[in-house]
Amino acid sequence: MNREKVIFSFFMILALTLNFGFYAGDVDNPDHHNVYELFAVIVVNLIATILKFGDRSQLGAMLLATSLVAVVQLITASIVWGYVIHVQGTGLTPTAMATIVSLSGGAMLANIISVVLLVIETTTLRH
Amino acid sequence: MSVVTSLILRQMRMPFIVLILGYSVSIIGMTLSPGIDDQGQIWYMSIFDAFYFVSYTATTIGFGEIPYPLSSAQRMWALVTIYVTVISWFYALGKILSLIQDSTFKEALIKNTFSKNLKNIHEPFILICGFGETGTALTKALTEKEIRVVIIEQDNEKIRALPLQQYPVFVPGMQGDARNPEHLIQAGLQNNHCRGVIAVTASDETNLKIAITSKLLNPNTCVVCRSELKEFEENMFSFGTDYVINPFETFADTFGMALHSPSLHLLYDWLTGVPNTDLSNPIYVQEGHWIICGFGRFGAGLFEHLRRYKINVTIIDPSNELRDEFQSKSENKDCDFILGTGYDAHTLIMAGIENSVGIVSGTDNDSNNLSIIMTACEINPELFVVARQNKTNNERLFKATNASLIMQPSDIIARKIRSLLTTPLLIDFLSKASSQNQEWSNIAISRLSGIIGESRPTTWAITINEQDTKALYQVLKYGRVIRIGNILQDSNSHDVKLNAVPLMLKRGNQFIMMPTDDIAIKADDEILICGTEDSKYHMKWNLNDIHRLNYIMTFEDAPDSFLMRQFHNFMKRKERRNRPRKQMIYKNKHDNN
Repeated sequence: MNREKVIFSFFMILALTLNFGFYAGDVDNPDHHNVYELFAVIVVNLIATILKFGDRSQLGAMLLATSLVAVVQLITASIVWGYVIHVQGTGLTPTAMATIVSLSGGAMLANIISVVLLVIETTTLRH
Repeated sequence: MSVVTSLILRQMRMPFIVLILGYSVSIIGMTLSPGIDDQGQIWYMSIFDAFYFVSYTATTIGFGEIPYPLSSAQRMWALVTIYVTVISWFYALGKILSLIQDSTFKEALIKNTFSKNLKNIHEPFILICGFGETGTALTKALTEKEIRVVIIEQDNEKIRALPLQQYPVFVPGMQGDARNPEHLIQAGLQNNHCRGVIAVTASDETNLKIAITSKLLNPNTCVVCRSELKEFEENMFSFGTDYVINPFETFADTFGMALHSPSLHLLYDWLTGVPNTDLSNPIYVQEGHWIICGFGRFGAGLFEHLRRYKINVTIIDPSNELRDEFQSKSENKDCDFILGTGYDAHTLIMAGIENSVGIVSGTDNDSNNLSIIMTACEINPELFVVARQNKTNNERLFKATNASLIMQPSDIIARKIRSLLTTPLLIDFLSKASSQNQEWSNIAISRLSGIIGESRPTTWAITINEQDTKALYQVLKYGRVIRIGNILQDSNSHDVKLNAVPLMLKRGNQFIMMPTDDIAIKADDEILICGTEDSKYHMKWNLNDIHRLNYIMTFEDAPDSFLMRQFHNFMKRKERRNRPRKQMIYKNKHDNN
């Protein structure tokens, strides 16, 4: 058993599950989407990205790329959230909420790809 | 991703994770701690507010308690925030600093810079293995001719001192073991631009290994080796080393040249020396008795040359075996072999120093050599002294002794390789010249000294082809006749010639020594020319610029622009119309040519 692999898989899958948790629910209903969940997704995704730093293998590079995509999407979502509340002052309108949730949906897709790559890597490993 | 970035990122994983965790715990805590706003209402920080607060607290900027003064609960958590985040920042910074100090990292950084520099070389370069005395002299000579050089050297100190040297072009250097093929490849052996490998390390064995590696991994490169022992020399030639240079043999040959003809030796010295240094004087070796101290590779080589001219020689050497071997040969019957060191007056007098014309101090120890010269010159100040200098830093000492010929291995090798790489035609010229008689070299020397003035000339070769001499080649293709005399014409003034002498013209397998002005040049000729740096520059320009070439051929300024050309032709036509018919036909024919 490779400790590094276990830790990385843990964070990767946690990122996906949290992301799914945030994404699930009505797209434009602020009650269905918790801000702390988004925060947690961002933190876990950042950690998963950093864990792939300096990995020189082909698959490592792919995983780094997908995690980076997810991080970019999620940070954009959080910026939108902060902007509508603190700068625009309009609060979480259905339009704003729909934007945030769809951005996190995109991040989820990237996370799914990461997990799929992870599964492929695991199955091709010879014992 | 380069090794360096990958190393940094790998090392920075943990600090980054600690930072992110510290931040996220602090942010969550801040949003959960109840505060009191200016109306006395309970309020909670949003994630945005908390992130802002934690960011300026963690980086010790400290904007204060905004938007409202913090409540006690918030202050309690702020304390936790400060310690957690500031400490994680220190951890991250400390990690970066220790990484920079790390020797593995430094090594990777140096390697990275080297391979980047190597990648940036987009022109042919030469790989020099060994940056000792010879390597340094060669690097200086080659970079002065604007040839790119890459260096691999085992001693880290020498590589580190490399950037301190002021070379005209940038010289990348790598610390590595040239015996290791991996290191040679890293140094650019298999690079597309690698034209030659020069093995000039101190050990023959290393040079041999470099030659083998280079010829196996990149058969197209030219390999030049330094070798001091016969058996290594033969071995090197056996697998296709292009040139093997033995400093002792080369010096002995030069010495033979000086014995044979002083002006030939002078010619050799002028042409192969460093350009723009002071000219040397001719060396005259008198006939008479010679003494050789030290009968090693050096002494034996000179002995052979002296015997060729039937000169009587006495040898002084402390080795019994050498003496027995020497006396067993029948051709050495009339030469004495004295056991001794040579730096005591007694031995020298026994060898007949008072009536000798020359002495060779050829031991492998510089102090002994100097001592021999001093003692010998005290007894007989008229001696012709040939000194063997083993270490470069003793150069001043040997110069001070007024020795007539000083043999310095690194200088000899650098000289030979410099001519080989920059003007290979010069080697052909010198070997052809050595078979000419004394009179010929006297004439050559007097022609040269009439033109070059006070300092050593530059020697260069021109090839009549599209790249080297664009204009000349084009004009030749149109069938115009250009003679050697034409290309020596100065383009500024009608009756001034360039300060240059054509030494040799190579046409296929045919060599014409000292070609005269009336020889017509053909395409693909190679011409070896010797002259001042200035004339080289002017000649290059004359042969590559069609207008200048036109001018030195006709002494007429032809118009460059389209309109002026039309006007010029119009005027010419008008002029022609007024001329008698016969002359016009001639003129037409001339124009078509």
